[in-house]
Amino acid sequence: MFKMEPETKKRKGMEYDPDSWHVLPVLSDEMSDDVKLLDAYAAPITDKRQTSRLVKDLSVVHPLADLHHIKRVRACKDKSSPHPLEVIVCLVSDVSVPTTFVTQPQRPASLTDLLSSKDFNFEGLGEPFPVRIPARAPLTRPQFEQASRHWPTSFHEDKRVTLGLKGQLFTSRQKAKIQEYMTTAVEAARSGREEGMDAVGAVIVDPKSGQIIAVGHDLTQDHPLHHAVMVCIDLVAWAQGGGVYTYEKHPACRYTASDPQLYAGHSETSGSEENVQPYICTGYELYVTREPCVMCAMALVHSRISSVFYGTASPDGALGTKYKIHCQKELNHHFDVYKGVMRQACEELTPLK
Amino acid sequence: MRTDHTDHTEIHVINGIFHQPSDSEVQRWMSSAFNMAIDALENGEVPVGCLLVYNDIVLGKGRNEVNETKNATRHAEMVALDQVLEWCSHRDLDPKEVCKHTVLYVTVEPCITCAAALRLLNVPLVVYGCKNERFGGCGSVLDISSGDLPHTGTSFKCIPGHRAEEAVDMLKTFYKQENPNVANPKVRKECMSPAGGTITTHTEAAPHEDDVKMAVSD
Ligand SMILES: [Zn+2]
Ligand SMILES: [Zn+2]
Repeated sequence: MFKMEPETKKRKGMEYDPDSWHVLPVLSDEMSDDVKLLDAYAAPITDKRQTSRLVKDLSVVHPLADLHHIKRVRACKDKSSPHPLEVIVCLVSDVSVPTTFVTQPQRPASLTDLLSSKDFNFEGLGEPFPVRIPARAPLTRPQFEQASRHWPTSFHEDKRVTLGLKGQLFTSRQKAKIQEYMTTAVEAARSGREEGMDAVGAVIVDPKSGQIIAVGHDLTQDHPLHHAVMVCIDLVAWAQGGGVYTYEKHPACRYTASDPQLYAGHSETSGSEENVQPYICTGYELYVTREPCVMCAMALVHSRISSVFYGTASPDGALGTKYKIHCQKELNHHFDVYKGVMRQACEELTPLK
Repeated sequence: MRTDHTDHTEIHVINGIFHQPSDSEVQRWMSSAFNMAIDALENGEVPVGCLLVYNDIVLGKGRNEVNETKNATRHAEMVALDQVLEWCSHRDLDPKEVCKHTVLYVTVEPCITCAAALRLLNVPLVVYGCKNERFGGCGSVLDISSGDLPHTGTSFKCIPGHRAEEAVDMLKTFYKQENPNVANPKVRKECMSPAGGTITTHTEAAPHEDDVKMAVSD
């Protein structure tokens, strides 16, 4: 009844609807946080011909250091306004505001409050009003859109990040491949569960060849530190002629030595830089059913993994939940992390306690 | 490799009371950890050595074995913890119960991986030599030792600074002989890659505690 048909392998992973899950990048806090704002004063430019002089003079008195992303002048949002342009006069922190202003915030600050320099030429500048401006350059399109609602800024767009946040970074063919690898991880998790282990599975792939290098699952009943990721890292070591532990009792934990032909071919066709033996997890991708813990996440840094895909978050997870070790600035290696791969199937493996 | 243990120790495991180590104990065990680090240095490994001591018995000794195993997580602490686990399994004892009364003596602050592993096994105290500025998990990069991680074992205390200069000097000696191009400007630039960026490692030569110098030459 359950005979293996030739079709089975080809359709592997396809019984799960690839449209039912969305893969999202796990970005650093500075890329995912809301835009921070600074209090500032702006004023209308009542005489357009004075614009460039005003900008020049204002940037001498109040240079707005460290705010190079801020456009000093903006077109007035209100089209019915009698003046088409507005300019930033200064930050609130640039001036010592008179006490009357503090106690009566409804009384607007005057230009003389803000520009104490005696010889400032106020010509063409209207009465100031408070605004809030973005404290630093936006790093993502959502941040840019949010920032722009307050004051215009410059923005150097990373298209991959923009696509990633829209869930459009991967083509449907790539998504099918991701699902295939994650299906293998889910199957490994189930094998582990049958042995009484935690239902967590992991797969390490060499994306250059598409080859699966290692498949592992949780083994914490044997060894309290043998999380699925740690098992996979050791299996990769085995694939490279090293390795520490034996896994004979756990047939679902397995490795394939990476294809030496592939590397031989590289050395002939390309420069010496391409002529590298596989080196720990350099260039490899990890697929794991749930977010790695601190130990495993840092082990992936030590192993120089290139990307991590996981299904569901973990309460002490270190790739998004409690820490973002993959983009921790002080560390010497960083990698991309994507979450939400086959989320439902992964959640069903590890019900929250 | 492991030292004396007799059957009466099992009583201590069950009724063990955990004591803060005295100065003379710290000196004695740390000197042994430094010997392990020297052994690592002589074997071309990053010079880090450690001991896990339970009630005056050394349950585990370790030094870095990253190069020989091609497993970047084979730090001294992991090697020593495996010996503790083996010791426990021979006696049918719960490793976490034993580790609860065990002190780690290590020449360098444990990295983030090892700090989490120590938490997972409930080790309550770590005595270390120098700080680990690049990977330290006891405050230098992240504070895993006392972090709020209710699903990652128990937090632990640290006593830092024992023979710290000596520990740093050993690391420096290692990197001098292993990495003649430390000042390569290209390396500096790559080290500062933005978050999420991919770093090519084959040109990387900056000194790292776990930098493995293998594969390319074999
Ligand atoms: Zn883990
Ligand atoms: Zn470590």
